[in-house]
Amino acid sequence: MKRFPRSVRLGLALAVGIAGVLGARHLAFASDHQDTADVELNPSQDMTDFYAFPGATSDRITLVLNSWPVITPAQAGTITFDPNLLYQIKVDNTGDAVEDKVFQITFTGTGASQQIQVRGPMAPPVAGAMNNTISTTAPVITGPINTTLGSAPGIQVYAGVRDDPFFIDLEQFFRILPDRKPVTGALSALPSTPSASAFRPAGSAVDFLAGFNVLSIVIELPTAMLTAGGNAKIGLWGTISR
Amino acid sequence: MININRHMRITMKRTFHFSALAGVLLAAAACNNDTTTMTTTPTTRMYNQVQRLGNPLVSEVFLAKRSHATHGSTGPASDVSLIRAELISFVATVAGRNTTVQNTLAAVLLPDMLIVQTDKAQSTAGWLSWALANGWGGRKLTDDVVDAGLAAIFGTLLDPSNVSPGLATDNVASDSPFITTFPYLAPANR
Repeated sequence: MKRFPRSVRLGLALAVGIAGVLGARHLAFASDHQDTADVELNPSQDMTDFYAFPGATSDRITLVLNSWPVITPAQAGTITFDPNLLYQIKVDNTGDAVEDKVFQITFTGTGASQQIQVRGPMAPPVAGAMNNTISTTAPVITGPINTTLGSAPGIQVYAGVRDDPFFIDLEQFFRILPDRKPVTGALSALPSTPSASAFRPAGSAVDFLAGFNVLSIVIELPTAMLTAGGNAKIGLWGTISR
Repeated sequence: MININRHMRITMKRTFHFSALAGVLLAAAACNNDTTTMTTTPTTRMYNQVQRLGNPLVSEVFLAKRSHATHGSTGPASDVSLIRAELISFVATVAGRNTTVQNTLAAVLLPDMLIVQTDKAQSTAGWLSWALANGWGGRKLTDDVVDAGLAAIFGTLLDPSNVSPGLATDNVASDSPFITTFPYLAPANR
């Protein structure tokens, strides 16, 4: 394979590395970083991050599915989940990368009175990415958004607008790679030719996303509800389907 | 089936697409004894996946944009066959890293699931700690996954050779005032 000179390699690494890191979340204001045109046009379908971390006690696990990037403080009171979408958290507990259990999360209504329905964890009605259907079983948790539902030691659910936990120095990325900058907003005013070649040092670097919000779905439950057959290793992923 | 396919190809060459479509439908009907499944109108709402996230960074860093829809519309079970070659190629040709880095990244990130070893101490939780330190794994709200990803791809995390130090961190830290009780994420900025 032809090897690039180091200077070219470094340039490529800069360009692609920055592009990739910028794309670590799907930024609504960076027109070339959305996964697809569909998602770019429909921020409700844009999943930003997925988390799994220990719960309140040693036998519990917390799962977080975030969507709808860059909700401003002014929008925090008005943007709610899309009632036409199916949000799912999928769990492989046999090591074959196929979901054995799923949470299915749906919403009814819009605005402050929106209601959430959570089904699972249960065997998926349809495994895989396509032609999924909502289980005919009754939801295990229902109630309003922006409220903690359920209680320990059972399943707890919260869905609503929260501070975006993600952090990144976007401005410097756009200075290094200006053709990735947005076409509107403050960052679009940055120079169109590279005005930096390295990240800013600590103290100068800025988390551009500080102060923005996302729509969070948070579920905490006993870990044993996700494992099976004595297999302690599980694989988790979140999906949004329409 | 060979004759049917040949007939379909000939049909498509000679006639309009409408005729080809009719031929396909006829062929499908001829091959399927259970014709009732073709005439029943679905009454259950079907949902098709448009977004997927297991590990952070996988789709956006390693895959060209033209491949993102593939990642978003498939599940982890097909990641090794659909994604691994492109991931390896990125690490090899763009980052200029050796096979140790290439294979390690592919092994820990694919299939693209957030792995949790639920029998490990919760104090060891953190992105990729299941692979790098035999820990709990998962991903904490406070994890600096950008720096971790950069350190692995361009820095010394996995291998000391041919690193790009200026790309190993973006030098920002979490500013979010996380709370210690459910739902853990900081309240919205209003």
